[in-house]
Amino acid sequence: MPLLEVRDLAVRFSTRGKTVYAVNGISFDLDPGDTLGIVGESGCGKSVSSLAMLGILPPAGRVSGGQVTFDGEDLLTLPDERLRHIRGNDIAMVFQDPMTSLNPVLTVGRQLTEALRTHLDMDKKEAAAEAGSLLDRVGIPDARQRLRDYPHQFSGGMRQRVGIAMAISCQPKVLIADEPTTALDVTIQAQILELLRTLVREEGMALILVTHDLGVVAGVCARTHVMYAGRFVETAPTAELFANPKHPYTVGLLKSVPRLDAVRKQRLDPIGGAPRDQTSEPTACAFAPRCAYATSESWEQLPVLRELDGATGAAAHRVACWNPVPERDLVAAGIRRPPAEGQSSAGLGEERPA
Amino acid sequence: MSIAEAEASQLAVEQPSGLWSDAWRRVRRNPAAWVGAGLLLFFVICAVFAPVIAPYGPQESVGSLAAVPPGPSAEYPFGLDEQGRDVLSRIIYGARLSLLVGVVSVAIGLSLGMVLGAISGYFGGRVDGVIMRFMDLMLSIPGFLLAIGLVTLLGRGLFQIMFAIGITTVPIFARLLRGSILAQREADYVLAARSVGTPGLRLLTVHILPNSIAPVIVQATLAMATAIIDVAGLSFLGLGPNDPGLPEWGKFLAENASRLQNSAHLVFFPGFAVVFSVLAFNLLGDALREAIDPKLRA
Amino acid sequence: MTDTQQVDAAARQDTDLVRVDDLKVHFPSNDGLFFGRKGNDIRAVDGVSFTIRRGETLGLVGESGCGKTTVGRTLLRLYDPTAGRILFDGEDIASLSGRELRRLRRRMQMVFQDPYSSLNPRQNVANIVSEPLRVHGLAKGDEADRRVHELLDIVGLPAAAANRYPHEFSGGQRQRIGLARSLAVNPDLIVADEPVSALDVSIQAQVINLLEDLQNDLGLTYLFIAHDLAVVRHISDRIAVMYLGTIVEVAPADELYARPLHPYTRALLSAVPIPDPAVEVNRERIILTGDLPSPANPPSGCRFHTRCPYRQPTRCDDEVPALRELASGHTASCHWAENIESGQIQPRQDAVAGPPGGHPDAAAPRPVG
Repeated sequence: MPLLEVRDLAVRFSTRGKTVYAVNGISFDLDPGDTLGIVGESGCGKSVSSLAMLGILPPAGRVSGGQVTFDGEDLLTLPDERLRHIRGNDIAMVFQDPMTSLNPVLTVGRQLTEALRTHLDMDKKEAAAEAGSLLDRVGIPDARQRLRDYPHQFSGGMRQRVGIAMAISCQPKVLIADEPTTALDVTIQAQILELLRTLVREEGMALILVTHDLGVVAGVCARTHVMYAGRFVETAPTAELFANPKHPYTVGLLKSVPRLDAVRKQRLDPIGGAPRDQTSEPTACAFAPRCAYATSESWEQLPVLRELDGATGAAAHRVACWNPVPERDLVAAGIRRPPAEGQSSAGLGEERPA
Repeated sequence: MSIAEAEASQLAVEQPSGLWSDAWRRVRRNPAAWVGAGLLLFFVICAVFAPVIAPYGPQESVGSLAAVPPGPSAEYPFGLDEQGRDVLSRIIYGARLSLLVGVVSVAIGLSLGMVLGAISGYFGGRVDGVIMRFMDLMLSIPGFLLAIGLVTLLGRGLFQIMFAIGITTVPIFARLLRGSILAQREADYVLAARSVGTPGLRLLTVHILPNSIAPVIVQATLAMATAIIDVAGLSFLGLGPNDPGLPEWGKFLAENASRLQNSAHLVFFPGFAVVFSVLAFNLLGDALREAIDPKLRA
Repeated sequence: MTDTQQVDAAARQDTDLVRVDDLKVHFPSNDGLFFGRKGNDIRAVDGVSFTIRRGETLGLVGESGCGKTTVGRTLLRLYDPTAGRILFDGEDIASLSGRELRRLRRRMQMVFQDPYSSLNPRQNVANIVSEPLRVHGLAKGDEADRRVHELLDIVGLPAAAANRYPHEFSGGQRQRIGLARSLAVNPDLIVADEPVSALDVSIQAQVINLLEDLQNDLGLTYLFIAHDLAVVRHISDRIAVMYLGTIVEVAPADELYARPLHPYTRALLSAVPIPDPAVEVNRERIILTGDLPSPANPPSGCRFHTRCPYRQPTRCDDEVPALRELASGHTASCHWAENIESGQIQPRQDAVAGPPGGHPDAAAPRPVG
């Protein structure tokens, strides 16, 4: 049984008589040591899903269906007290703005030791020592000195490190990082991503990384889910997803970002139009209005995730699309090299067995 | 292309909605606003059409002098006072003065406060420092005490009283507007207007003020309620308008406070008038605050 | 690019629309009214020189706090320069004021980062877009309306947008409105400060394409300020890299990527995530330690020496490196640029993060160019 099992999770928001269908049935499994990326643009429901799993949705939102099973318990039906316990001990979260998880009027040391003492039942001395080594662990220089500092005395990058230290203080089994580097500069982002990679490798915890940045998942996650209008539209091992994307939305995202390491293109290929306004439940492919491959089927029926090429388990590549992007178009877009060239220049990363 | 067309047609169909009209729509949906507006309208009608509505004149004696005047009856719903005058008629006429004082004194306070606040917030620096320290000085004196002092100094004329009450609200408006302007002054759209070459005065009046004024408007409605209480208070202390021909709710209360035991109607009815007019302004102010609060915007 | 380089120096002088010489912008950091203490000035921009040629896009990259936004705003004279010259079309604009400054503002315009805060929420689109026309007395009434519709059309918005308010539009549409406003006066130069970084990737591409189309159609010159190197490389002809108030490297866009000469540029390039796991897995990253030092108290010598993985004893700490031309049109301010490029000087080992655990199917990096 997987560590964390999400089935058909759905979330609605109701404000002023309007209902927003933020998440419309997502499912995934997470095993210890997994690194899972959830990628999508703003409003696709990627952040809301992780808040919903932990039962910390804002008041206007509610889970309208599905199960989130952690270690055999359904988080969505647990009593508050038990859920709080799991939230502190077993599943922890890192936010885009670490200030949201830090109390501005308490020193960092006090907050860390308090968490350690309540959750791990340490005495004052042990907790203080542990807090120091935690800050050290996340790469804060002069860790012991800095325990006495307040959150605002740390720079953005250092504050995010403190946020991560808080999150890993109780050695959680699952770490959910929601856009952890979006507010940071690239060189600082590189530091934080390096830290996350190291933590996953050395502590063996599972990571869910929620981001809009394809480059970030490419460097960190083993498996990636692409989310659009509250549903997963494509999911595959990260290498496979980038080398062999099948959903027109995934392909569109890859084509619309300029790549630093590729030949400069004359023009970018944006995805036309705007994201779906989610005030109704999707009954057809939500991407159809922006999609060049859409057929009458796309406009009428909701596509579900189905497997491609028969690969199953960890290698499975699933896509929710009536008309997956054909190989020749991937070649034309420069995402996939023509097979002939691939053979001649062996070792090119794009060519790997599915 | 079809998407752009779809967007275009959608734009053409829907009514454009400005922030003010959005706010107005929200005010209209708020039941508290309706109650407040209804009450206020009632008092305004009383004030404007007093001679038509009131059964008797404000000074007209319809009964006889009595140590214990008769209470409410079918003929005189609010009873009579010790000089035999109809209480209902006096309260209806009293609405004139109370509303006048509320509106005029707030208008005085608002205009002075806004000018000072705008100068302070827009120019900043030393000007701001001097104005704001002066406002702090004024705020350090309790408003009502300041009004008493001013009335004693200026005399008990109607205008002097409105002026005195208005002055006490100046620092509140000035501080509020200054803070609001400071928050907007560095906003990107103001920078954008500057980079386009928009001159200073236009920058202030077209860009900064319309975006800073919302909290001041809310405060103004609330200040009207306070002004009504203040003038009642001044009258109660014997510092009200000294024209005996002008019935005023506060003065009414003051004159009859000692009769609470045996002629309660002489205190209750003017008291209710004060309470409900204040309530009207407070309800409206709250509804406005909710309507223009950016956090509540969809 | 090559034909421009072949033009002789005198002629090149003439093709410069903007020439900035040793620009300094310091902000006083004293606080309080009467009892304020005077602290060290914030040296946001501390001796910056560059040129922008007519019709080109100069990219200005750097991390937050490096002073790139201040450079852009000072160029538009939204901030006053502390020292230095700004030549715009041959005229020194560093000390213009009043009427002359307003005349100048018809020729240079700005596009902002945040499409939500850069439009006055109380004005409708027609008023926003026609503001520059009104302010400069260029058009009124029907003529202004016609011009507004024309501008909306140029940026790809329907005419029906004119009587709507900013909050009714999406981020990408608002950025188009901002562009229409800046185009109203037919400017020569547009300073675009992070114009796409607040937008979703699919929308980013739309706006970038629009910016490029406008440049081609209207002959605009851009100063494109951004932190995203991939976007800057895509849109720019040349790129200037800023660190802590100074420019550390200037080069043609492709050359900067292929042959970064300043250690900071190297670190910056290696930190940009690339949407390709095959590349990511096999990349060698230079991980900079620590944070940006305070611009109120910048390090001595080379400002980057506190974080530089190639730092050499004493010279880097003591001597301020000058911007040197190391190849045609490629300047960098590093004492050791040649030695680093040739591999004689290697980065400190702890600053390099290699492929994690020698990935089994590690692939060769994608060939460049």
